[in-house]
Amino acid sequence: MKLSEIRRGEKKLIEGMTLADMLLLAALVIISVSGFIFIKEAFPQGTDVKIEVNGRLAYKLPLSSDAAIAVKGINGDTIVEIKNRKVRIKESPCPNKICVHQGWIDRGAIICLPNRVMVFIEGSEGKENKTIDAITG
Amino acid sequence: MQSQDKLRIALLSAYAIAIHSFENLLPTPIPWLRLGVANIITLTALMLYGFRAAMMVTLIRVTLSSIFIGTFLGPGFIMSFCGGVSSTAAMGIIFSLFPRLFGPVGLSLIGALFHNAAQLFIAYLLFVQQIKAVLIVTPLLLLLGTITGVVNGIIGGMLIKNISEKSLNPPR
Repeated sequence: MKLSEIRRGEKKLIEGMTLADMLLLAALVIISVSGFIFIKEAFPQGTDVKIEVNGRLAYKLPLSSDAAIAVKGINGDTIVEIKNRKVRIKESPCPNKICVHQGWIDRGAIICLPNRVMVFIEGSEGKENKTIDAITG
Repeated sequence: MQSQDKLRIALLSAYAIAIHSFENLLPTPIPWLRLGVANIITLTALMLYGFRAAMMVTLIRVTLSSIFIGTFLGPGFIMSFCGGVSSTAAMGIIFSLFPRLFGPVGLSLIGALFHNAAQLFIAYLLFVQQIKAVLIVTPLLLLLGTITGVVNGIIGGMLIKNISEKSLNPPR
């Protein structure tokens, strides 16, 4: 009795969906999945924060752990803050403070030319390549 | 408006407010990412009592539950207001233009799609202003919206069937 009720319910469930429903569902699934692929190709997700001073690598930190560090530039200390997988320059001794105004980023870079401090977010691909290089080299 | 309609709208709004408020208590990884379970009530109101009832229920739900939660006129309220109104409008327009074309699942999908689209647009205009950041979350929201849309549509369809059967054969 119960099983037949459930079966009838299932049949009705499928009958309740019209052809247009199914087409719409299929289209939405295809669009969102292809969107995922497009986004992955277009914007690789960053995993590491690299801080360079005067062209030399000063710090390399994971983007996933929150931190605040003082980076010694040529004019003084630049405070770089990592929080919630995002990076910003909190304080800088530079005159125009463009780097501070750029705010939080989760990909790309912040470059403070006056203090020669550059903050990059590196993708996972670069990291993988480096570890492989380290093993073979 | 008949008093029976008022009663129905009041009852559905009460359900929707309860569901919406409860949903807001659940933690989510992305702010404003919601299951949209309250859309079941909007869907039911639309398919059983028409566009006006659905819009009334949505407006009452969004306004009152934001007052209860404490986000009234805040960013969360703006997002849920625009999302709710545009999804109800989209579902209502499609349902009144092609009443036989889509079932509850299809209408729920349309609602979820427009809810997400409106919220992304508002988020871009008011809060994020970085097209990249908006684009990155779009496929995720679209996929989640599709999944929750199908589930809500199935539940809404059951609810509509149940209510319409009960109102045809009153249990006396």
